[in-house]
Amino acid sequence: MCTGRLDPAIVAIAFKKGLDGLMVVGCHFGECHYVSGNVEAKAKIDVTRRLFKHIGVNEDRLAFRQCSSSEASVFVRLVSEFDALIRSLGPLGGDADRLKPSEIFKKLEAAEAVLAGEKIRWLLGKRTPFLESGNKYGEVFTEHEFNRTIDMIILEETEVQRILRELRKDNQSVKDLAMTLAIPSERVFRYITALKRKNMVELEKVSGRTPIYRVTEQQV
Amino acid sequence: MENKKVLIVGGGLDGVRAAREKADSGCRVTILEKFPSLGAERIPRDRIVKPEEAFENPDLDEVRNSPHIQILTYSNLKKVTLEDGRAKAQILKRSLRVDNSKCNDCKACIQVCPVNMFDDFDEGFSFRTAVDCYNPRTREYNIYKEDMPVCQRECPAHLDIRSYVGLIADGKYMDSLATIRDRLPLPGSIGRICPHPCETACNRQYLDEPISICFLKRFVADMEIHEGVEPVYHTPEKKYAEKIAIIGAGPAGLTCAHDLARMGYENIKVFEALPVPGGYLWVGIPEYRLPKKLLQREVDLICNMGVDIQYNTRIGKDISFEDLTKDYDALFIGVGCHRGLKLRVPGEKEYEGKGIVDCVTFLREQALGNVKEAKGKLIVIGGGNAAIDSARVGWRMGFDQVYILYRRTKKEMPANPWEIDAAEHEGVILQYLAAPVEILGENGRVTGMKCIRMELGEPDASGRRRPIPVEGSEYVIDAETIVPAISQGTNLDFLGAEHDFKITRWNTFEIDEETGATNVSGVFAGGDVVSGPDIAIHAIADGKRAALGIHEYLRNK
Repeated sequence: MCTGRLDPAIVAIAFKKGLDGLMVVGCHFGECHYVSGNVEAKAKIDVTRRLFKHIGVNEDRLAFRQCSSSEASVFVRLVSEFDALIRSLGPLGGDADRLKPSEIFKKLEAAEAVLAGEKIRWLLGKRTPFLESGNKYGEVFTEHEFNRTIDMIILEETEVQRILRELRKDNQSVKDLAMTLAIPSERVFRYITALKRKNMVELEKVSGRTPIYRVTEQQV
Repeated sequence: MENKKVLIVGGGLDGVRAAREKADSGCRVTILEKFPSLGAERIPRDRIVKPEEAFENPDLDEVRNSPHIQILTYSNLKKVTLEDGRAKAQILKRSLRVDNSKCNDCKACIQVCPVNMFDDFDEGFSFRTAVDCYNPRTREYNIYKEDMPVCQRECPAHLDIRSYVGLIADGKYMDSLATIRDRLPLPGSIGRICPHPCETACNRQYLDEPISICFLKRFVADMEIHEGVEPVYHTPEKKYAEKIAIIGAGPAGLTCAHDLARMGYENIKVFEALPVPGGYLWVGIPEYRLPKKLLQREVDLICNMGVDIQYNTRIGKDISFEDLTKDYDALFIGVGCHRGLKLRVPGEKEYEGKGIVDCVTFLREQALGNVKEAKGKLIVIGGGNAAIDSARVGWRMGFDQVYILYRRTKKEMPANPWEIDAAEHEGVILQYLAAPVEILGENGRVTGMKCIRMELGEPDASGRRRPIPVEGSEYVIDAETIVPAISQGTNLDFLGAEHDFKITRWNTFEIDEETGATNVSGVFAGGDVVSGPDIAIHAIADGKRAALGIHEYLRNK
């Protein structure tokens, strides 16, 4: 299977199941059978690493390496090096990560939702054309700008996905959400209004003076 | 009112109603609205009003379906001119960036839009995505793009700063340089000397300090020399045969020549009075700020495009201005401000050339290597960059003591603060709140200058505090050389005694703001000769504007 086909969400699922490290080995640049599969794979792994760093998982647990199918010795070296690295980092949720095991799996669940969500996927798919040929108006973006946008989305999407996850459990008010998720209530309010605009959240009822929100069922 | 064309500005309730009335009376109506959709303000999807009740105006559908009404949304009225009783309007129509005929209102774009913007409609209570439907009733989507970045807007030449700084961050130095060269033919020179209005505007300064936009430009230009890359400025295959003369090989003239050559003009001739190119870049800016070798390299790149520079040719002396207008199809005047203004104090005329040298001559003679002696005390009068340059150059030439006299304080000095600090650091003595009263001399040589102390009074029209002389505080400084650096003026003698040009009261050309054309057909002007003494990048912007103007003029001739 081509590394370009690797869905970043699968990476998050793998870590959620307790994986301590994951190395993706693709072809060398310029040797891809599908022209640019390895470039896409590298971009996807880079973004996933950024997300891991943001949620508090040591991003060195995930790596993209390159090696051709005839380079057996290189492959052996890459694997033994990565093995040594993961052994030095210890198990997931240990000292190498910023999070304790109890929180890390909750965060990874949010990460999976972010990576499976449309926003990151669409943007990743557009990455190469944006950087090389530009958008429809010929405006070419720099890698720097692209990464800045990705960082902003990672930050917002993790919080949005955590809010949606809470709302799926139980219909709640902005105040309750802010309490459980430890996100400032004005930020939660902004996310809720934005989600309302996107038809992803709707008002269930007003209890007393507090509006209670619920997730809108998405029609496919 | 039959068959008349009517323009209605504003697509709110009244505008829509007026459009309908005019259309009913048989006029052809164009309705112009600055927002992306007709019908008052944007109504967000989550307002208490239901979408179907959001904006109900019985006239709206009628206006939209009427064959006599043309709707221009997302447009701005730029200019209205009256001609023979008819009004002509210039309208800027911006693109909605969404093809609404293909849109089926699925809202998927809003869900995935990566850009969040401040929503001024509800005072930042919610995120607004860059792609948005402006009014849920009209279902017209658009991608909102604000003006260009502040740095780009502030730069007179509107360099694409966002891109080239970003490309440097990506490590793509040569791509970055290519982006700069797209609009600026002298990146290495400007990267050294520009007073960078872009950095003054930079939004990063509110966080820590502005991005060093100017020196980043210098960095990529130096990187090219370091890597040993020899760039080529390309010219297109299709050539135009018209002859164009450019007076002055300064930043404005060189840029104009570069841009015209890039459009495909073959016969471009630049006339330069001095034996060197670059104008003020060569004879005004000292070697330590801009190495001549580097400037020569960038000028050579422009010459390699087929631009011919004829040195030592002063128009009005070697060739008359009339001959030029006869021989060439179009003319660009970029002669700059090469005449230092006078102090207007007693004794100045008497000792002119015998110890009093204006800063333009002083810097020029030094740059051309014509200076014989430099000893004794030097006094520079003024507080601009030219004054600091003169003082620092004087210090390097070997004057024993160098003074700068300025009538206000350091805070009001128009020179770049880092230049003032550097001058102080080198040992130049700065005297603030002092002004010259009289030049003193003996046996036909300057021996000193009588000065007077000043104090600051109320702010004047320019916002700076007006200096007022303190009576009885006169004092004398001994000096062998005095350099007034109190601004420069234009020298339009080359036009001859009789000419048809419109000249402003500052002795500069009056030009058309859009094309750079003077009132004489086929003659364009730009740079300091239009704006008065100003920064180099401004002259470059003028050169670019004139190049477009000349192209338009020659193609529609």
